Amino acid sequence: MLSITLYRSLLRLNPAFHRERFGEEMIAVFAEMQAETVSKGTMARAVFCLREGAGVVAGALQEHWRALGGEDVWLWFPTRRFTMRTEFRFPKATAVLMTIILGGIILAIQKGEAISTSLRGAVSPPIGPIHPVHSVMVGGILLGFVFFYAAGLIGWAILFAMRRSGVHRLSETSTK
Amino acid sequence: MEFLPLTEPVLLILLSLAGQPRHGYSILKDVEQMSDGRVLLSTGTLYGALRRLLDEEWIERIKEQDSSRGRQAYRLTSRGRRNLQLEVGRMKQLTRLANLRIASKEA
Repeated sequence: MLSITLYRSLLRLNPAFHRERFGEEMIAVFAEMQAETVSKGTMARAVFCLREGAGVVAGALQEHWRALGGEDVWLWFPTRRFTMRTEFRFPKATAVLMTIILGGIILAIQKGEAISTSLRGAVSPPIGPIHPVHSVMVGGILLGFVFFYAAGLIGWAILFAMRRSGVHRLSETSTK
Repeated sequence: MEFLPLTEPVLLILLSLAGQPRHGYSILKDVEQMSDGRVLLSTGTLYGALRRLLDEEWIERIKEQDSSRGRQAYRLTSRGRRNLQLEVGRMKQLTRLANLRIASKEA
C-alpha cells in the first residue's frame, strides 16, 4: 500500500517550486485521507492508493509541462477518448473475454506440445523431428502473451484510477 | 467570458469555499459529499486546481483560525466569488432554456 514515505518520494516528481509551495500540505492531507481508509476494505484501500499515486504522477507531469511554458492541459496522448466521457464504461465482459482467450491460447500451445512429444516416438515421423528450438519459441510466445496481458491490466488499472480521481476534467477549465 | 464554463471539480471546489474558508482535507470531503461520492479528487488533482485558482487570484491562502496546527486554509476572493456567480448565472440560464424547450415539446 502507498505509505507516506512512498507518497513523499512520489512528490519529488513535482517541480521544486510546487513542492515547496504545497508539499507539506499535500502530505498532511494525504495522511488524513490514509488514516480514514484504514478502517475500509482492501479494495477501497487499493483504489485509494491507485488514485493518489496516479493523481500525483499526473499532477507532476502537468506542472512540468506548465513550467516549460505550456498551457494547462491534460496529457498529450488522447486519453479523452477513454476517460473524458462520463457515459463511458469499460465493459467488464472484456476482461472476462481476454482471460478466456488467453486460456484458450495457453491450452492450444500445451496441446501442440503434447502432440509434438508423442510424435517423437514414431518410427518415421510425418512432419520431421521436433527440435528444441520449437519449444523455446512456444515458451517465448507464451511469455509474451502473459507480459502483454499483465501490461494491459496495469494500464487499465491506472486509467481507471485516473478517471476516478477526476484529474482529467481539469483540462477543460480555463480560469483566464 | 472565456473562462466559462468551469469543469465540475473546479466548480465544486469553488462552491465548497463559497460558504466558509476550508483547508485541503475539508475541501476534498466537501466535494465528495456535494457530489454524492461521484467526484473523488486526489490530493494531486486538488492542489493542481488550487495552484491555478491561486495564480488567477480566485482564491487566497489564509492561516486557519481554529487550528493549533497552523494549517493553511483557502477562501474565495471577490474575483472568485464574482466569477462563481457568473457561472451559476450561466447555468441557471441554460436550465431555464432547457426547461422551456422540454415543456414546449411535451405540450
